[in-house]
Amino acid sequence: MTMKIGILGAILGVSLVAASAQAGTIKIGFNVPLTGFAAADGLSAKTGAELAVEQINGAGGVKGDMLELVIYDDQASPKEAVPIAQKLIEKDEVVAGVSGSYSGSTRAAAGIFQEAGVPYISAYAIHPDITRAGNFVFRTSFVGEVQGRAGAKLIGESLGLKRVAIITLKNDFGQALAAGFKEAASSFGIEILSEYEYSIKDRQFGPIVSKVRADKPDVIYASGYFFTAGPLVSQLRAGGIDVPIIGQEGYDSQKFIEIAGAASEGTIITTSLDRDSSVAETQDFIKAFEAKSGQKADMVAASAHTAIKVLAEALQSSGASDRAAIRDAIAQTNLTASTGQISFNKLGEVQKSVQVQIVKDGQWHHHSVIDDAELLSPPSE
Amino acid sequence: MLYLELLFQGIVQGSIYALIALGLTLVYGLLRILHVAHAALFTLGGYIGVIVTNQTGSLALAILAAMIVVGLVGVAMYKLAYEPLLSKPPFIALIASIALFIAAEELFRIIFGPYGLSYENPPLQGGFEIISGFFLKYGEALVIILSLLILSVLGWISGYTRLGVSWRATVTDPDMARAFGVNTQNVRYLNFFIGSALAAVAGVLVALLNNLVEPTMGSVPSYKALAIIVLGGLGSIRGTLLASMILGVIESFGTIYIGHLLDRDALAFGFLIVVLMFRPQGLLGTR
Repeated sequence: MTMKIGILGAILGVSLVAASAQAGTIKIGFNVPLTGFAAADGLSAKTGAELAVEQINGAGGVKGDMLELVIYDDQASPKEAVPIAQKLIEKDEVVAGVSGSYSGSTRAAAGIFQEAGVPYISAYAIHPDITRAGNFVFRTSFVGEVQGRAGAKLIGESLGLKRVAIITLKNDFGQALAAGFKEAASSFGIEILSEYEYSIKDRQFGPIVSKVRADKPDVIYASGYFFTAGPLVSQLRAGGIDVPIIGQEGYDSQKFIEIAGAASEGTIITTSLDRDSSVAETQDFIKAFEAKSGQKADMVAASAHTAIKVLAEALQSSGASDRAAIRDAIAQTNLTASTGQISFNKLGEVQKSVQVQIVKDGQWHHHSVIDDAELLSPPSE
Repeated sequence: MLYLELLFQGIVQGSIYALIALGLTLVYGLLRILHVAHAALFTLGGYIGVIVTNQTGSLALAILAAMIVVGLVGVAMYKLAYEPLLSKPPFIALIASIALFIAAEELFRIIFGPYGLSYENPPLQGGFEIISGFFLKYGEALVIILSLLILSVLGWISGYTRLGVSWRATVTDPDMARAFGVNTQNVRYLNFFIGSALAAVAGVLVALLNNLVEPTMGSVPSYKALAIIVLGGLGSIRGTLLASMILGVIESFGTIYIGHLLDRDALAFGFLIVVLMFRPQGLLGTR
């Protein structure tokens, strides 16, 4: 009898001690495409986010509490993103959410998070309406139009090329970029010869290649993701077109270079990850990501990493109990991250320089930086 | 010159559609099953093509390997998924086929990874000018030559050999064919083997043109091939070939001139709707 009481007492004692020594966990929601057509970017984003969580937890977490990512696969589909957002908020009770997904799904989820008063950070989805969902939604990457305008300055001013053929991916991403580009084109003396559109499922661009060759542009401004841009650039070059091709952060992955092979040499993109950066945060991220995943770092992973870092920094000052306080802390962010200096305007948009990278010897390298504050200022409402 | 190039681009695309859709027509003609999972065989062919070329450096070997392996997988699909369902209504086989396709896409992602594969040393890069201003890539030329070759061989087999006659007999009237000593079971296996092998060739060629194979590369062919066989007239091989070519050319011109209104798929289906309004049996279908 005494034995039983003794054992029971010991068990209770140990579990009480264990419970008090147990650190709390802070749950962060993370929606990302792990299956479907965007699975490749999703895997990168997830790895980038997980790396950030590991690094933060390894350094003691946030005030002793460990971060925990609650990850759901949204297949880059708005239909999937909505119930996932609801689940994260109601069932998992996350303190905040980060989107590692594309614009379509992020837009849908942003509305849910805003309504529930839970902070939401879009890592790399660029559609302008995302932050317009409300003051609880932030974005750590350029809004589409800003990057498009930067592209116009890059082509018209930095490269001095005037006659452009535009090839646009027909979705939120490509159309936002094209809109920004066209808006700023005339102020840099750019003449748009023609614009062609393609859908995200297209990999065969034969007709567009033929027509572009007939147009004889000085330069091509083409939007897409690495799995469309790779085939596109490869086919443009194979079709005998050797004018410069300017892309954007959708190309930003080693996979683009693998797919397009020799054709990728000389491709220039506007993006937010500078491989040759002298900034410690950027270099540390690149090395750590490669060590963790065995893949080369890309913009998507860096953006997800940045978003988690921003959130963790905010949690450090606001604590994890009051979501409105977390939101206010995020709004006050001033952080150096792998994708640049992060601070938000009143719409939740970030203002930072645009990195321009070029493919040289089969790797992404620094080309230039675009720093025009007025040109790059994001919308504030 | 531009129009000639666009026409050729349409023919290249049409040839690829033909290689894929033929397998579908062959299966439908024989068994009245809509073999949606056929598109998964196209994807598998692409993967095998890239993997074998990367290992051995030979595109020809890759095409052969893809044809044989995918042909066998196609036969396995028939044996495991369709044969047990032959006595049931055809929509049951359709459901099984769709399920197979979805599972296959995910299997590709799990086995080969979501990033896709590319040729390490892409063969047949670059192109040549046939006549001034008219440019054709080597890969595109290969598509046209190979398609013509394969279709001619198939046409000859079907029309002039014992094998071909048995096959046609089985399609027309299986019971009568059996009465004449034709092994209808073997004919069915052969049917699936050939149809699948054709899809494999299409997969390798598409991988060559794009230098990318992805787990989801079969998703567009899965429904577009269906549209093509309906357009051509269900069960008609000539109809399928005609529909493939016409669709390829329409997409080629359409993406350039009305691309801002309708995307490629919308064009294809728009055309299908228009044709079916006037000819519900398809271009060469029989009522």
